[in-house]
Amino acid sequence: MKKLFNPIKDKSGEIIEYLMSSPDMPTDEDLRFKLRLSIEETVENIVQYAYKDSIGWMEVETNLDDKALVLTVTLKDAGKPFNPLEIPDPDITSSVEERKIGGLGIYLCKQLMDEVTYRYENGCNILTMKKNIAKQ
Amino acid sequence: MEVNIENTGNKTLVVLNGRLDTTTADKFMQDITPLMQGDNPDIEMDCTGLEYTSSQGLRMFLVLQKSVTARKGNLVLKNMKPNVKEVFDITGFSNIIKIV
Repeated sequence: MKKLFNPIKDKSGEIIEYLMSSPDMPTDEDLRFKLRLSIEETVENIVQYAYKDSIGWMEVETNLDDKALVLTVTLKDAGKPFNPLEIPDPDITSSVEERKIGGLGIYLCKQLMDEVTYRYENGCNILTMKKNIAKQ
Repeated sequence: MEVNIENTGNKTLVVLNGRLDTTTADKFMQDITPLMQGDNPDIEMDCTGLEYTSSQGLRMFLVLQKSVTARKGNLVLKNMKPNVKEVFDITGFSNIIKIV
């Protein structure tokens, strides 16, 4: 399932709901929680930062492999080149006084998904998240 | 996202209901502003009804915990759903915020 959203300004909620309502999505509530969180963190990131004033497009897609074991969610935009996987992981051992506020979203996504990859291709940022949905 | 705050003597009881995400985080921050004032705060949050939190929600909890720590108070989160607890665990927030 694939859809182009243009423009994406103020559309993050709609984009998240579109992806979560895909027939490729599992029904298991725990898996859906993890997928929704990973999708929200990455979609919000693109909506807020990819384009100046959030004027631009995003194409989103879900796929299941032949055995319906692995779900792939792909987010594509033509905003400024940005690899979110290069954001440093937060120091999760620091004390409350030292604890920084940022960097949590993409870290959560990396922890909750089985695989997150990024590539820049033909002027587009392409972020791919994979989750084994047969595991639980 | 609903936040109910009740002051009972020395303790402040807070009941959370709903989802804490990008769309509700700003309102949540406003709602918990009263908890950012006063010396030696003793705050107990019932998270039974907290269905979800994104990183945006975690930031609000961190802001609150920093404020409570600076005022030499206590913040305790109770009855957290396993999914939500996992988000606190993965991000190390369980180490800096007391969850029982």
